Amino acid sequence: MSRRQATRAVGVVILPLLVAAGGCRRTSPTPPGDAMLDAIRAEERVGGLSYGAGQGKHLFAQYCATCHGDEGRGDGQNASNLNPAPPDLTTSKNARDAAYLRRVITQGSAAAGRSALSPPWGRSLSAQQIDYLMAYCAAMTQSKR
Amino acid sequence: MGVAVEMKQTAPTSLHVAFAALGLAFLAIFSWVLFHEGVADWRTTQARFRRIEATVKNPHQLAAAASVGGLRQIWLPELDRVDRCGTCHLGIDDPSFAGAPQPFSSHPGTWLTTHPIDRFGCTPCHDGQGQATDYLNAAHQPQPFVTRPMRPLETIEANCGACHRAIDAPDAPRLDEGRALIVQSGCFSCHDIPGFDGLTFHGPALDSLGSKVRPEWLPGWLKNPKGYLERSKMGNFRLSNDEITVLQAFLLSQRAIPPLEGMTVDWKKADTANGRALFGELRCVSCHAVNGRGGTMGPELTRIGDKVRRDWLFSFLKDPHRVQPETAMLQYRLTDVQLRDLTAFLLEEYRSGDTGPEPPPVTYQDARAVMAGRGIFERRGCTSCHRLGAMKNTGRIGPSLAGIGDRNPDELAFGRGNVRRTADNYIFLKVLHPDALLQTSMMPTFDFAPIEAARIALALASIRKADLPVSYVRNRPMPPPFTPAGHFGELVTRYRCLSCHSVGGFGGTLSTVPLDRIGSQLKHDYISKYLLNPGAVRVSVEARMPFFHMLPDEATTIADYMTSVLLDDTLDRYDATFSEADVQRGQDLYTQLGCVGCHQLGTVGGYVGPVLSDVGDRLRPGWIAAWLANPERYKPGTLQPDYGLSAADARALTAYLSSLVDGGRPKSAEQGGRQ
Repeated sequence: MSRRQATRAVGVVILPLLVAAGGCRRTSPTPPGDAMLDAIRAEERVGGLSYGAGQGKHLFAQYCATCHGDEGRGDGQNASNLNPAPPDLTTSKNARDAAYLRRVITQGSAAAGRSALSPPWGRSLSAQQIDYLMAYCAAMTQSKR
Repeated sequence: MGVAVEMKQTAPTSLHVAFAALGLAFLAIFSWVLFHEGVADWRTTQARFRRIEATVKNPHQLAAAASVGGLRQIWLPELDRVDRCGTCHLGIDDPSFAGAPQPFSSHPGTWLTTHPIDRFGCTPCHDGQGQATDYLNAAHQPQPFVTRPMRPLETIEANCGACHRAIDAPDAPRLDEGRALIVQSGCFSCHDIPGFDGLTFHGPALDSLGSKVRPEWLPGWLKNPKGYLERSKMGNFRLSNDEITVLQAFLLSQRAIPPLEGMTVDWKKADTANGRALFGELRCVSCHAVNGRGGTMGPELTRIGDKVRRDWLFSFLKDPHRVQPETAMLQYRLTDVQLRDLTAFLLEEYRSGDTGPEPPPVTYQDARAVMAGRGIFERRGCTSCHRLGAMKNTGRIGPSLAGIGDRNPDELAFGRGNVRRTADNYIFLKVLHPDALLQTSMMPTFDFAPIEAARIALALASIRKADLPVSYVRNRPMPPPFTPAGHFGELVTRYRCLSCHSVGGFGGTLSTVPLDRIGSQLKHDYISKYLLNPGAVRVSVEARMPFFHMLPDEATTIADYMTSVLLDDTLDRYDATFSEADVQRGQDLYTQLGCVGCHQLGTVGGYVGPVLSDVGDRLRPGWIAAWLANPERYKPGTLQPDYGLSAADARALTAYLSSLVDGGRPKSAEQGGRQ
């Protein structure tokens, strides 16, 4: 039958073509870059901080660094006016105790039985902001472990 | 009937076979579908969840939670979204799953408290395909043919901006940075940018540029503004040398406002030492940087000597508003001798080398060059930022950026770079190198750092096509302008109070002291004294109020106005009769709370907050009490902690602080009663 033969012939031609097309799916050598994301990551991954810790770093600079120093070493510009002086957070054992740290940040150092020089921030900062600060403090102590 | 029987008998066997095969195929497909549905991603995920649940919860809670199963979806008709993310993210709103393995972990932070999940769903913030019920189709990662896959955390703030339209949206620092950069760079002078309407951006008026600048300075500036000023707000228009020549001819022919006439300044007698002293005393660095340090409101002055003519600088300092009505610069009240010394100091101290003698005035320009220059000036949209005599503002010559965050990447000209085709990336590359994507771009190059371009792109990506329901949108506050009349109004204009201070949210943000209720905060005598000689209240603050050389009666006028108009009745009604016991108790509290850590009293204490030695002379008691009770209310982000003081404690501290006068010695309570 001529029709059946024709169908077969078409099938014989098309099938290998389809298979070949499937096999030759273009694989680009390098996946396309995400220019904007790369720019942000290049800037923000400095120091290997997570997003939350990075936010905490900004908050730390605004609220804490005047006394505790930019790196938390207790060497802020106001530190010399304080007695007792602010502790080095990167080596302090207490700073690694999350519950203790949260208490000092929210209720002030007086709530932990220390001097009253570190004020309570629990009413000024949102819970979110305090989480960020905690994350930065954790990153600070970890990098020195 | 016979026919049918006959057909049954004569039907070819091949048809039977085909029918049977078809039936089997249907059966196979049907069972495959059943099987596939049975082991669907979300079912296995939910089974995993139940195992984890047993470790997280006690039996009682488990019994209550047992009914959870099947597809879970949130339908938000107002936002036109159906989000089924909760089908797998089963612990998302349950704090007990904090730290559980994904996808069961609870949502980090307090975001779900501020954005309840039944009102906001998931994809309005995160993007991705909310209706999908498996990992791949939900577009957790970029997928082909998905226009908005889930945003990584780095750019998620673009979605905050869709609802939060204020320049400083809460808890979105990257977005805020991007919007601030747009405001500083004045992108809306050339582009219509939704959300920035009503904001204006001015470069200096160019009416008298021919008498302002030294001719040899201009070509270099036009070629590359950043070459002269690193923080120049003007972009690089990539002009050819020919264009620069004719543009220079046009600009130098602008001499509509000559320097002040009748100037009989004896420059030979100029005392630069006095100029240097004035430069410090006037607090110029609050707004102008020199050698990389100082404020950013005005242009950096490090190489001012290379740029401007002496006569022009003298007359500008004498009356800045005559030539630049829109400038933020105040008009000091200085004598001609002081102005001369200051001018001479600036030109001699801040220049890159010996600039030679004052150049003669420019008189002749080739008329054809001037006309050609004028053509370029108009064509490149210079009038969008610079006023020049009667020339019409050509308006926004750039394309509108409405809906730019939703632009179809396939319609955008990406050039040949190997970049993922997204609206984000397009905006980013365009902001970074306007000519890299499209050679004929008219947009100047601003030389943004990659991170700055990324911040701007993020802020622009928040401008979506479809507008959101009003109930979701938090619009940018648009404070009404504060334009007082009379003598006070003249003084506000002359001394440009609103360049730094704000009233009702209108004005500058350089000062941390808004003037809304200043008359209820400060005492009358202190205001007038301070205006005449502004000292430092906060030792560590760099930008300080300028020394205006104001006249005494001007200071009195301002103090009168403030204490009779800029008031807050709730502060004024405070009963300020204190007992000796109050003062004593306040003093104890001062020690207990550790105030000394930040405030100086006498010679003791930190210098984070204001000096308190004479706070009783400065502040009105009603203000002290209100401030101590709730500092965040009056100054969001302040370093003054909220101690949660009881009314009695706040009163006692107020009594003590009000008693501190004259260098920190408490005066007795009887005197301290009323001011």
